Order: sequence, then C-alpha cells, then structure tokens
Amino acid sequence: MTTTMDRRSLLSRAALGATGLVAASALGSLAPETAFAAGAQFADAGQPDPNFAEGLITGRNQDLLQVQGSDGRLHRIQLTGVTSVWKLRPTTIDQAKIGDGLYARGVLLPDGVLAAEAVWVNIVNLTVAITSIARSGVQFDHHGQKVVGHVQAGTTAAVYNGTPAVSDLSMLKVGRHAQVIGAWRPGTNEIDIATIYTSN
Amino acid sequence: MGTEQVAAAQPLLIGVLLLWSSYGKFKNPQQADRTALPRLVGDSRAKSAYLAVAALEALIALGLLAPPFTAIEAVAAAALGLGFTGFLIYSKIVVPEASCGCAGKSAKPVGYRAIARALLLLATAVLATTATGGWWSAGLALVVLVAEAAVFVMLSAELDRYWLLPIRRFRTRLSHPYAGTASSTPPLAATQRRVLLSPAYRAVDGMLRSDIHDYWDDEDWRYLSYIARYDGRRATAVFAVPHQDSTPESVRVAVVDETSGLTLYRPTVLATA
Repeated sequence: MTTTMDRRSLLSRAALGATGLVAASALGSLAPETAFAAGAQFADAGQPDPNFAEGLITGRNQDLLQVQGSDGRLHRIQLTGVTSVWKLRPTTIDQAKIGDGLYARGVLLPDGVLAAEAVWVNIVNLTVAITSIARSGVQFDHHGQKVVGHVQAGTTAAVYNGTPAVSDLSMLKVGRHAQVIGAWRPGTNEIDIATIYTSN
Repeated sequence: MGTEQVAAAQPLLIGVLLLWSSYGKFKNPQQADRTALPRLVGDSRAKSAYLAVAALEALIALGLLAPPFTAIEAVAAAALGLGFTGFLIYSKIVVPEASCGCAGKSAKPVGYRAIARALLLLATAVLATTATGGWWSAGLALVVLVAEAAVFVMLSAELDRYWLLPIRRFRTRLSHPYAGTASSTPPLAATQRRVLLSPAYRAVDGMLRSDIHDYWDDEDWRYLSYIARYDGRRATAVFAVPHQDSTPESVRVAVVDETSGLTLYRPTVLATA
C-alpha cells in the first residue's frame, strides 16, 4: 500500500510541476532499434488487428489469461502492472476473472501472447428505453429484451442532455431513451451502470 | 344476469380484439419476419401467412360482430384462440427471441403475458360457443366486458406505454428511488471528459498507450494516470485536474519515468485553441 502511496505522491508532485525536468536522452540509449523493439505491429489489410483481442476468459494462470474469441479464435493475454483494467471503474488486474468477457488492446509478442496495455472487462454499450425505476435497479428495454441496471453508489454517473456527468440520478425518467455504458454481470441479464446518457 | 347473457356478450369483446390485432398485422406486415413464422412456414411464405391470419381474424371478427347470430362463428374464434396459444408456446420453446406479432409493432419476445392473453381469448371464445343469442341480446351482461377488456389491456405488452409507464412515471415523481444520489464529488466520467477536452491531453495524446490506469483525489486536485510511451520507453502520464477551476487550461500534465522518478516531459505553455 505504501508503494501505491509513494507512487501517487511522486506522480502528483510531477503533475503539479514540483519536480525537475530532465531530457529523456539523459536516461540512456535512444537508438531506433530500442525504441521500436516492442512497438506495435500493424494490421494487414483484411486481416484481424493483431494488437486487439476480445472474448470470454476461459482460463487464468497467474496473470496470463486464456480467452476464447467470439469468432472462435483463442488468445493468450498477458496482464502486467502497466495494464489498465476497466471493470465498471479503473481497477486492478486481479479483477479479470474466469467467465468474464473482455476487450484487450496491446502489443502482440513474437510468441503469440498479447501483452495487454488496456483491458475492458465485461463492458457493454446499450441503447435502451427506461421501463421502470426502483431502488433495486433500473429496468431497461433493450430492443425487446429486459435488462436490469444496478446503481453503484460512488461510481454510477448520469449525463443529462450532453452536459458534464453528475452522480445525481434523480432526473432519470421512466419512458426515456438512454445509452448505457456498464459492466455486464456474467451469465445474467443484469449490468452495473457506469454512465447513463439520457435526457431530462 | 345469468351465464347465458355473459356468454352471449363475449362475441363483442372477441370481435373488437380480433379487429384490433388484424389491423395491427395489416399495418405492419413486415413484423412477420420477427415472429416464429419464418421458422414455421419458411422465409418466403412468412409474410403471406401473417397476412392470411390477419384476414382470417378480420373475417371471424366481422362474423361475430354483425348479425345474424350463428354458433359456428364462436367455434371458429375458439379454434383461432387455440391456434394462437399453440403458436405462441411453439415460439417460446423453438424461437425464444421471436416476438409475438400479435397486434403489430413490438420487438418484445413472447412472454407469459402473451400466452395468458391467448388463453384468455380461447376461454372467452369457448364460453361464447355456449351462447344462444347475439351480443346485442346480452343486456346488462355487457358490463362484464369492461372488466375482461381491462384484463386484456393488462396482458398486452403493446399497450404498456399508455397505462403502465405513466403510472410508474407518476410514482417516481412522487418519490424518486434515487433522490439522494447527488454528491459534491464529481464522478470519474466528468473528470475524464475534462481531461479529454483539455489542451494538456492534446499535448500528450500520441504518447498514451492505456486507458485510465489509476486515479486518486488529493486536496483540491484529482489525478488520473495513464501508461505512456515516451521516446521508446515506458512512462506514466499523469493529469492533475483541479476541483475548483473548470477551465480546460487548468488541467496539467506530466510524463514521468517511474523507475527513476524523473519527469520527462511537461508542456508548459498550452495552446488554448
């Protein structure tokens, strides 16, 4: 925990300009081969993007995920300390669990493992109509299918008429259309709401 | 008012219902593709089958509504009700995502309400077969139809927006379940949007490799960190967003090498374009 605190305080001071600036070249070689050694590969036309993967997590060996893509492809995805993980909110890499769905972007290593830079777990983007609002959840009609959205205090935000997001959900109205970014609860028709975009 | 009159009154309700559902089918024949019909009779015949059902409904409805009274019309309606029930149960089991297509536009898959409505139609039609006179001879028994019609409305998902949603809207207006959710701490989504719209973000956008990696609050600032790549090496881009000042220029950024703790890049004068 102290390392997180140290890290954060170092970054905070840097962002506010309280630390000195150095030229990057002072830190070592800037030879092009070093710079591009782990660079991203470029996709061939008509071929899947090598730096992207999606699917369901079917296995996890420490921080190496086995993922079954929806197109049947199998991916191996390596999570590291520098991978950003979104699961309803930015979180830590241990939150990617077996059974979760994910999208991952990163760098494809020569051994076929995707070194993930950013991972979004269970993320969904739904266009819905609000059919009911209750303390236990907001019911959505998603093109004829019922979806239950759960509000997570401190995380769920609402954007009304395109204005900046607020935590106040009391302007949600039954019958309105909405777009919802949320985290799916695997195996259910329920999601946790990250942001709901609607009108008031 | 005996069972006799109640039975005699049924054709009026059944007739009106069938006319409504027939009208819905004629108005939106393309709805046929969403039902289980393509699976049952083939893609090419689904639309004609759908329209044929609509025509049959209209025919039986007019027979029931118009004099003279004959028992055969009620029997036909009962047969139709039985057919609907069977078709809906088939849909639910074989093509669960199919909509009912009962009375026009609805994307809702067949649910228990639709099946209950078909069963109720079947029951009223069976009751009508026992009648000995037309609905115009039912007298006061017509009042019973009001209650029956209300049940039909409640079982019709197509009509929810005319009564169910207004009731729910009214209830949330009286007391909103999320009335207490407002807070003074801005949600992360708001901070992220401020970052995305800031000149600081434009200055380092090309270096960012990850989504938000970490975020924290400290006194008057909220910090967001991203993993970045600077001159070919791993770095961390950290944004500082003030709580008080909401101008885009107030967002600051630095690119830091975390292993050495040194700041690699910090745009000083940010364009305000």
